[in-house]
Amino acid sequence: MPPVIRPPSIRADQLSRRHALQLLAGGAASLATGCSEPDKNSVAQGDRTELPYVHMPEGLLPGVPQHYATALPLAGYGRGVIVTAFEGRPTKVEGNPRHPASLGATDVFAQAEVLSLYDPDRSQAIRAAGEISDWPAFASAFRARLQEHGVDKGGGLRVLTGRIASPTLLEQMAKLQKALPDLRWHVYEPTQGAEGEAARAVYGVALRLRPRLSDADTLIVFDADPLGPGPDQVANGRALADRRRRDRASARLYAAESALTLTGAFADRRITAHPDAIEAMIAALAAELGASIARPQLSSGAGEFLAAAARDLKARPDRALVLVGPSLSPTSRALGLWINDRLDGPVDAFAPDDRAPQAGTIAALADALRGGDVRTLVVLDSNPAATAPGDLGFADLMARASFRVHAGLYFDETAAASTWHAPTPHPLESWSDIASPDGAVSLVQPLIRPLWPSWSAHAILAPMAGEPDQSDYERLRAAWRGRWGTDGFEARWRKALVDGVVEDRAPEPVSRPRATLPNWTVPAPAPGFAVVFAPDPSVFDGRFANNAWLQECPQPFSKAVWGNAIEMAASDAGRLDIREGDEVEIVAEERRLSGPVRLANGLAPGVLRITLGYGRTRAGRIGNGLGINAAILRASASPWITRGAALRRVSGDGRLSPAVAGLYALPGEARKLAPELAPGAALPPPAPKPSFNTPTPTPPGDPYAWAMSIDTDACIGCNACVVACQSENNVPSVGPDQIRMGRDMHWLRIDVYDHGDGQAPRPVFQPVPCMHCETAPCEPVCPVEASVHDHEGLNVQVYNRCVGTRFCESNCPYKVRRFNFFGYADGQEYGDLGDPLVKAVNNPNVSVRARGVMEKCTYCVQRISAARRLAERETRLIAEGEVVTACQGACPTQAIRFGNLADPKSTVSVLRHDPRHYTLLEELHTRPRTTYLARVRNAGPGGSKA
Amino acid sequence: MSSASAFASGSARAKAPTLLGPLDDRAVTDLVCAPLLRPAGLRWWVAFLVCTVGLIATLAGIYKLFSAGVGIWGINTSVVWGYAIANYVWWIGIGNAGTLISSLLVLTRQDWRASISRFAEAMTLFAVSIAGLFPILHLGRPLYFYWLAPYPASMQVWPQWRSALVWDFWAITSYLIFSIIFWYVGVLPDFATVRDRSSGAWRKVYGLLALGWRGSARHWRHYRRLQITLAALATPLVCSVHSIVGLDFAASLMPGWREPIFPPYFVVGAMYSGFAVVVMLSIVISRGLGLQQLITARHFEAMAKVMLMSSVVMGLSYASEWFAAWYGGNRADRALLVYEFTGAYWKLYIAMLTCNIVAPQLLWFPVMRASVPVLVGVSIGILVGMWLERILIIWNTLSYSFLPSMDRIFFPTVWDWLFLFGPMFVFAWMFLLFCRVAPVVPMHDVRELLHREGAR
Amino acid sequence: MAQLFHPYADTALRVALLGIVVSPAFLVAGGYALTRSPYVTGQTLVSPQPVPFSHEHHVGFDGLDCRYCHFGAENSRWAGLPPTEVCMTCHSQLFPHAEVLEPVRESLTKDRPIAWTRVHALPDYVYFDHSIHVAKGVGCTTCHGEVERMPLTRQATPMTMGWCLDCHRNPAPYLRAPDQVFVTAWAPPPDQKQEGLKLMRHYEIDTTHLMDCSVCHR
Repeated sequence: MPPVIRPPSIRADQLSRRHALQLLAGGAASLATGCSEPDKNSVAQGDRTELPYVHMPEGLLPGVPQHYATALPLAGYGRGVIVTAFEGRPTKVEGNPRHPASLGATDVFAQAEVLSLYDPDRSQAIRAAGEISDWPAFASAFRARLQEHGVDKGGGLRVLTGRIASPTLLEQMAKLQKALPDLRWHVYEPTQGAEGEAARAVYGVALRLRPRLSDADTLIVFDADPLGPGPDQVANGRALADRRRRDRASARLYAAESALTLTGAFADRRITAHPDAIEAMIAALAAELGASIARPQLSSGAGEFLAAAARDLKARPDRALVLVGPSLSPTSRALGLWINDRLDGPVDAFAPDDRAPQAGTIAALADALRGGDVRTLVVLDSNPAATAPGDLGFADLMARASFRVHAGLYFDETAAASTWHAPTPHPLESWSDIASPDGAVSLVQPLIRPLWPSWSAHAILAPMAGEPDQSDYERLRAAWRGRWGTDGFEARWRKALVDGVVEDRAPEPVSRPRATLPNWTVPAPAPGFAVVFAPDPSVFDGRFANNAWLQECPQPFSKAVWGNAIEMAASDAGRLDIREGDEVEIVAEERRLSGPVRLANGLAPGVLRITLGYGRTRAGRIGNGLGINAAILRASASPWITRGAALRRVSGDGRLSPAVAGLYALPGEARKLAPELAPGAALPPPAPKPSFNTPTPTPPGDPYAWAMSIDTDACIGCNACVVACQSENNVPSVGPDQIRMGRDMHWLRIDVYDHGDGQAPRPVFQPVPCMHCETAPCEPVCPVEASVHDHEGLNVQVYNRCVGTRFCESNCPYKVRRFNFFGYADGQEYGDLGDPLVKAVNNPNVSVRARGVMEKCTYCVQRISAARRLAERETRLIAEGEVVTACQGACPTQAIRFGNLADPKSTVSVLRHDPRHYTLLEELHTRPRTTYLARVRNAGPGGSKA
Repeated sequence: MSSASAFASGSARAKAPTLLGPLDDRAVTDLVCAPLLRPAGLRWWVAFLVCTVGLIATLAGIYKLFSAGVGIWGINTSVVWGYAIANYVWWIGIGNAGTLISSLLVLTRQDWRASISRFAEAMTLFAVSIAGLFPILHLGRPLYFYWLAPYPASMQVWPQWRSALVWDFWAITSYLIFSIIFWYVGVLPDFATVRDRSSGAWRKVYGLLALGWRGSARHWRHYRRLQITLAALATPLVCSVHSIVGLDFAASLMPGWREPIFPPYFVVGAMYSGFAVVVMLSIVISRGLGLQQLITARHFEAMAKVMLMSSVVMGLSYASEWFAAWYGGNRADRALLVYEFTGAYWKLYIAMLTCNIVAPQLLWFPVMRASVPVLVGVSIGILVGMWLERILIIWNTLSYSFLPSMDRIFFPTVWDWLFLFGPMFVFAWMFLLFCRVAPVVPMHDVRELLHREGAR
Repeated sequence: MAQLFHPYADTALRVALLGIVVSPAFLVAGGYALTRSPYVTGQTLVSPQPVPFSHEHHVGFDGLDCRYCHFGAENSRWAGLPPTEVCMTCHSQLFPHAEVLEPVRESLTKDRPIAWTRVHALPDYVYFDHSIHVAKGVGCTTCHGEVERMPLTRQATPMTMGWCLDCHRNPAPYLRAPDQVFVTAWAPPPDQKQEGLKLMRHYEIDTTHLMDCSVCHR
């Protein structure tokens, strides 16, 4: 039976493409479920039912994937993507080159969205006080309620949403505000910084300031993480990487941070410092640049660091930038803006979006609730009960409103605290529009009919504003017809859908007034620990908590999976006699949070770090009960740092989430595993080894010799490639227990080596897929020739021939092969939750591996094959760039390149002669096709110590 | 082979008689046949029951393995091999000694081997058949083990001849088949003897097994020729089978495995553990079946010397490994060497060295060689040590290879232990049956030996 | 002493011993035959269908082109099955009330697909692509047999891996000119040997890669 057929939605769109669900079910289902036992071959077994269409959908050819441009939201902002669908079954997300927030790449979350789409734990029905109900019942109840409010113009009616960057939704909100003037709209985005008021403090007016990282020679980040997870990650990563490629010697990134971040790892010079010390450094820098403020005392290390940074700043002020993170005080952030203004660095200012009505904060909403003047609360696509700052006690306050509506993808904590819950469609199921952080607007179009009845934010708001009841599709077109006018509308509409970006929507920068120096005073150092918070690289703010791919995606440094922990500096732990895994309790302003300790490198003494998004109780079967909820310790006033926290050991342990590996300080000679160079320096050529068998030259590869090149100087460790590989190649999740047993399935892992020490780490990320050795050690040892070479240099693994001796993995020096100890892909708890629906996420062009079979990176052989078949049908050769592996396609910084080594002009061939080029474990003469470019560290004079 | 000379000198110096008189042909035959003709005693039944339980447990374990998958073991992504391989090598090793005794010792004219050769060969049969199971149990998809055999499949694909596992497939099969033939040929005349002494249905059974042996001079002439030929064939086979097992590791790229010394060193190791088992079986049999006259101090003396010699050779092998690691100057090899002594398994490594190298040195002293408890202790030590050696070869290399991010430790599960100890009961179970149906000592050889000794 | 066994015991024993020696050979031979027998390969097997569709009628008599129904053959992995509407384009006029066509009409009215039974099924881990074979001059009937002579469709070829490899190893004997690919009555010309080699050059078929596992398995 086809996994993806579900009762049609009440508001199903009529586009014929949506009919694709009644597809060749047998074929698709069997392809989706993929490889099973070879004996499926005999006619005796196997389901041979074959269901053709009744009516052929337009432009669909079964077996030929379709690609549609749309946009996926993260923290309210859109990232343009191009989604691949097989017979109307979306299976893979790629970046959209035309979209400024994507530039053809994606982040880790976008890659995992397809799994969330098919998540059987998604909310599937309207619920009244938890009981399953239906739309008419809700509609009538809601309408009745709204009529009451209609009388008092919306007084006592509040709407809480996340950040809204959808023009159409904002218009609806404005309409609603007009219809009910006394209605109040509140916005809470758990991962939102606080740029707004800082700008107001410096410029007097509200401005959206966006630095142009690609134009900065010198970039100094103070506890800011532009490369960290978030809607800007991809664009920032690309900008910094491009800047490095342009001229490495002049590009220098300084990072002063209290906790090791992806930006810190990417930095040329990094210093670990307590937030107080960092604030002092900012002040000192400002003073250095002529600010009339008392120059605070700095430690010697910080002094050196700052001196070097200042030197570079002054060298090219117009090409210098300072970024100050949200965990620092508003005055420091203001100082940061002042410094940029003084430097006149590459920063653009934009007028804030004035179409939107002014929205209140969640703190204001909490006050209103406490004050009892909220009778009706409508929460759209937001989960404040779990994510709101702990000092508000929001979950309890909600009960003060007698009528509480929640609309969201899951029946989550907030839904449980509401009187009504309505499921919203997944972004891949909905019609909408959304803007990227820099204001580029995309249309959001569905790739599949909603799997369950669901109602979008548009549909919930419409009746409130008394708008006519229409489908999101019609509403959206109406809205855009309003903006574009009717003539030539269809053409523009189609173009916008095809491009994935609406042209002429990107706003123009505005000129900004002179900055005024904020008055700055030395902050009084608070006693106790400072707890800093960060979006989790796997589950972000918790919205991805039920996504097994993301839960099992290793954290960048600790390589921990399936949970977070209280991260602590080793020195503090030693002082308090606490060991990793111990259970401790943090107390801050009578808010308590207890959890396991994980020792973290590059964490300043006196600082604890906890990532957001864990400790969920109603995330779903995957995400429930993992980790601890950092939001409990957050304060609405300063959401990113909580000072003066006390910490004590408590009984109980064993809750520490497992880690698949560690961060490796490299002793002596082993540094060659992940070398580090000065700008312009070259690696020594490998010493010729005395050998009786002279190494054979690279086989010509007629006409193809596939190879991969990975630039460790561009890799920011964002994990996008890891999950992209998982999504493309049907790599199963194994779950925390299997990870604890030392079993994992990722075909592509990111090793991280530390060239510094625990206190001042200098990490180097090294993505390790299969090396596709020309003399592969795994091949001669396989007794059944399941591991063999093909004529294009691929080291292929024939799953259906594999009997599982595991000799290949024993003999693989890179340990890149993965074994199905159990039937992870099918029926296992974390494989598909035993629900056939989840199988729909599988790529039909890749076998799903059975129990007892070895698997590994194939260089996305299915993509190579597709390209070859296309080329051969047209009797031509595959051109450079025609084959893009999943990891390469996802990489925001283009660190991964793939191509034909037989073509001397191809990128990989050229990179082979780069002075930074090296081969992993060269001495083994395995002659890998996957090779690396060394990390460059432009530390500058005296930098080597830091 | 250096061992040969050791045997020779051993027998030359030996003054103790191989057999304890007073004995004549009839007495020997009576002694050996008695257990077969009288009903089993209580001790036998108790032992048999215990072993049957163990047998059933093992079968249950195999069922669980096949239904749930090899994931029930402690193996992980880096240490993909575990107990199954170690047990396999260990059992093959034990299986080596029997045929070795009755081939090498025949060729080197070791009279004393006569009384122990029969049950040593039986031991070989059982051990090898158990060992042969492990490679199949070890597979991720045991259903398809036959893909290692070359046969004209409709897929038109064949085994990978470069893989040591395929060589293994052949080595084990041929060795098993050969051992069965060799053992059967040896026992043939004795079946005839038992046939003539037994009665009723058993008489027919033994009659069938005896293949109509009448003991005519012609029979004996052919028989001797066949036996010596088989013995000559056996010797290279015995050496080959464990050399090839050694190649499973040696024909690889991993530090600690790619050791040219492995084949000979595995053969010696095999003989080593094999003799340890023979010593213990000899004690059990001579006591249990009252054959003290046939299995005497002289035997234990000789076997003790063999073990002593082997322990020295083993010591040399370890030393040469360490030396090669240092002298070769390869970073990975040296690092592994350090890891062996300081890494996660260093305690086990020390224990292994103690059992295999240190403890057996006791046997330099004749007193110790004569003391049964010491012999048993040392033998058990050797068996433990040899198993540790095999598991450590796997663990150390796989837990600590080239890239630190994949260093992972092995944690055995309850199933690992079941598959380690269960087969021992299966072995004992088969051996107990063997004691009841076949003469445990080759009567005709002993009688001949008796005459030769008498002549001396 | 008394004889234990009859005189024929010797013979019996010798036969038994001989049996032990030769039985493996018989096992292999038997297996060899079995795995290639229609029982296992499904060759010549006719599966029950909801509608007794006759290729003989539609192709043989009406002379429909393969692609009229199997529209994907040239551009997709799957040749594809005709949507109900395609059947009904004709059958709304021809035999509009025929009993046997009831399932087809029902499919259209109820908007439910017709549940055909696959005749040529490859295992899930085999990634066969019709389009490339068609583009390289492998005709339909080469694998699917003379469908225009099949009242009920049956599997015409063994479809074993070995059978695939025979052609991948040496395609020449099976190749046709581009205009011959969909001709169901095609028979190899007498000079197919040279013709095939010429066509291999024409289609630029490189057999070195054709024998790689990755061509069909991934």
